[in-house]
Amino acid sequence: MSLNVDKAIHNIVDEANSLIFCCDHTGKIIMCNKKFEETIGIPRDSIVGEDCLKVMYRSLLTTPGKEHLFKAMVDDAARYKRPNNFEGILTDGKGEQHIICWGVSPILTGEKQLEGILFLGNDITLIKEREASFRNIDETLKNIFLSIKEYALYVMNLDGNIIYYGMGSENMFGWQRNEVIFKHINSLHAYDDIAYKLPFILEQVRSRGRYELDSYFIKKGGESFPVSLTVTRFIDANGNMAGYIFMAKDITEKRKLEYQIFQSEKLAAVGQLVSGIAHEINNPLFVISGRTDMMLSAKPLGKKLKENLKIINAQINQIRKLVDSFLCFTRKIPPNTEPLDLNKVIKNVLPFLSYHKLPAKEIKVKKLLAKGLPKIKGDSHQLQEVFLNLLINAYQAMPEGGVLTIKTDSISDDWVLVEISDTGCGITPEGLKNIFMPFFSTKKEGTGLGLSICYNIIKNHNGSITVESQVGKGTVFTLKFPFIKK
Amino acid sequence: MNYKILVVDDEAPVRELFNDLFKKEGCSVKTASTGEESVEMVAKEDFEVVLMDIKLTGMSGLEALKQIKELKPATVVIMITGFGYDEDLILKSKEYGCAGYIGKNMSISQMITSFKLFAQTARAKVK
Repeated sequence: MSLNVDKAIHNIVDEANSLIFCCDHTGKIIMCNKKFEETIGIPRDSIVGEDCLKVMYRSLLTTPGKEHLFKAMVDDAARYKRPNNFEGILTDGKGEQHIICWGVSPILTGEKQLEGILFLGNDITLIKEREASFRNIDETLKNIFLSIKEYALYVMNLDGNIIYYGMGSENMFGWQRNEVIFKHINSLHAYDDIAYKLPFILEQVRSRGRYELDSYFIKKGGESFPVSLTVTRFIDANGNMAGYIFMAKDITEKRKLEYQIFQSEKLAAVGQLVSGIAHEINNPLFVISGRTDMMLSAKPLGKKLKENLKIINAQINQIRKLVDSFLCFTRKIPPNTEPLDLNKVIKNVLPFLSYHKLPAKEIKVKKLLAKGLPKIKGDSHQLQEVFLNLLINAYQAMPEGGVLTIKTDSISDDWVLVEISDTGCGITPEGLKNIFMPFFSTKKEGTGLGLSICYNIIKNHNGSITVESQVGKGTVFTLKFPFIKK
Repeated sequence: MNYKILVVDDEAPVRELFNDLFKKEGCSVKTASTGEESVEMVAKEDFEVVLMDIKLTGMSGLEALKQIKELKPATVVIMITGFGYDEDLILKSKEYGCAGYIGKNMSISQMITSFKLFAQTARAKVK
């Protein structure tokens, strides 16, 4: 019976899917199993009786250059009679490498004397590869999260403390991770209305699972920006609610676009109204002016009457000019557009500036006109009107003198850019909001139609006009037109 | 100037102004207040020049122009417009054969000059 057990043990060892060999207390290998024999590619007969360290060197049992570690483990097991584990790279008989986790165990007699050492090696190459790929996934996820800038993801636990502050959070809030992590969420939302709405938001998330709202966040520096915020439940591994996940998206660009659309719709509506009114005024005006003209040409005419009629006519002409400019506001672009060099259009406009009553103080005009500027499709008269308007505005913004810069350039293979900037009084934020609205004017004598007409003309050229200004520093108008592709 | 003119406008003060103006210039003038009326009048009677407001209630000025030119192609039709400049309308009326257009934003002397120019050129072509 004992024979059978021995045989069974022998079979188990021999068939085991581990590398097993054993040496006596002098270091001579006394047995090895099939797996070991196959792996190192040397017949069993040539291994048994060999010094285990020699076999190690010859058969590359461990990482080349790290053999001393293997030796140290063996010595340690022999001297202190304790088992050890270590990992090394084994190069098999075919030259392939395996990561082996070796268990080195002393074999002791009943009197605790060292009889030999048992080596048991498990191939953990696949496990290691899998581990590495997991690490890669972690690394990839981290990189993905770090690359996302317009979203912020942060998590609050049930106590209201921030337990995760990741993705674009630092970028969005301006607060660094170490400044807010494990602090109460109100330290992030101290000045915006999230702190105020928080109880309501959390209530909604608890009952419905999620809550979305558009709001404003305030950065560390005090700058506010619009966000779209989604709050959902944070469920832990046990399925319990452990907090709230906040996902915020910066919607500044979206808001800008919406504002532009809103502006252009408003302008279109005003345009319709204005042209309707203008047409209604034109008829009676035509009759009045016709009648006064007829009266003026009738003879004889008293001196006093003639003077009065002339005054009436002059006033009518004033109204007519105004009505004409209303109609300009809704004017459609004539189809006879031609390829235009905007540099030329600008150069043609400059002499006209002298006809207008402009401030007497010295204004330096800097022309930075790009050479070989691509042509655009446009109406030269209308564009002259646009540039004249902008240039006159720039002059009028600098009653104490300054620098007027006109710059042209081509950008990104599509657009011709014109920048008209002054170092004048600037425009208030309130003024900037309404700047392209008809009848909005900051000048005593202005009709408030100039820039709204410019806006329409540029829109009809499929272009765009934007303005940036700082009170006391100056204003920059940036115009873009699509250029003609060859 | 001694043309026989038909003035078409839906506003009485405008019709009367044209009536007085052109009579003073030596023309004989009749007026109509709608497009339909103007087409009927042209069918019954020959006019050398028709002054047609582009914007009329009922039949539009454009439609009336088209029908008049179909009825009597020799009639010179000049369009009157309250619009400063409307590309679509002007191109369309050119296509229907109008001789030119006069804007209500013109002064009287400008208007008379334009009228004379259009009428003369168009009549010369007809002859």
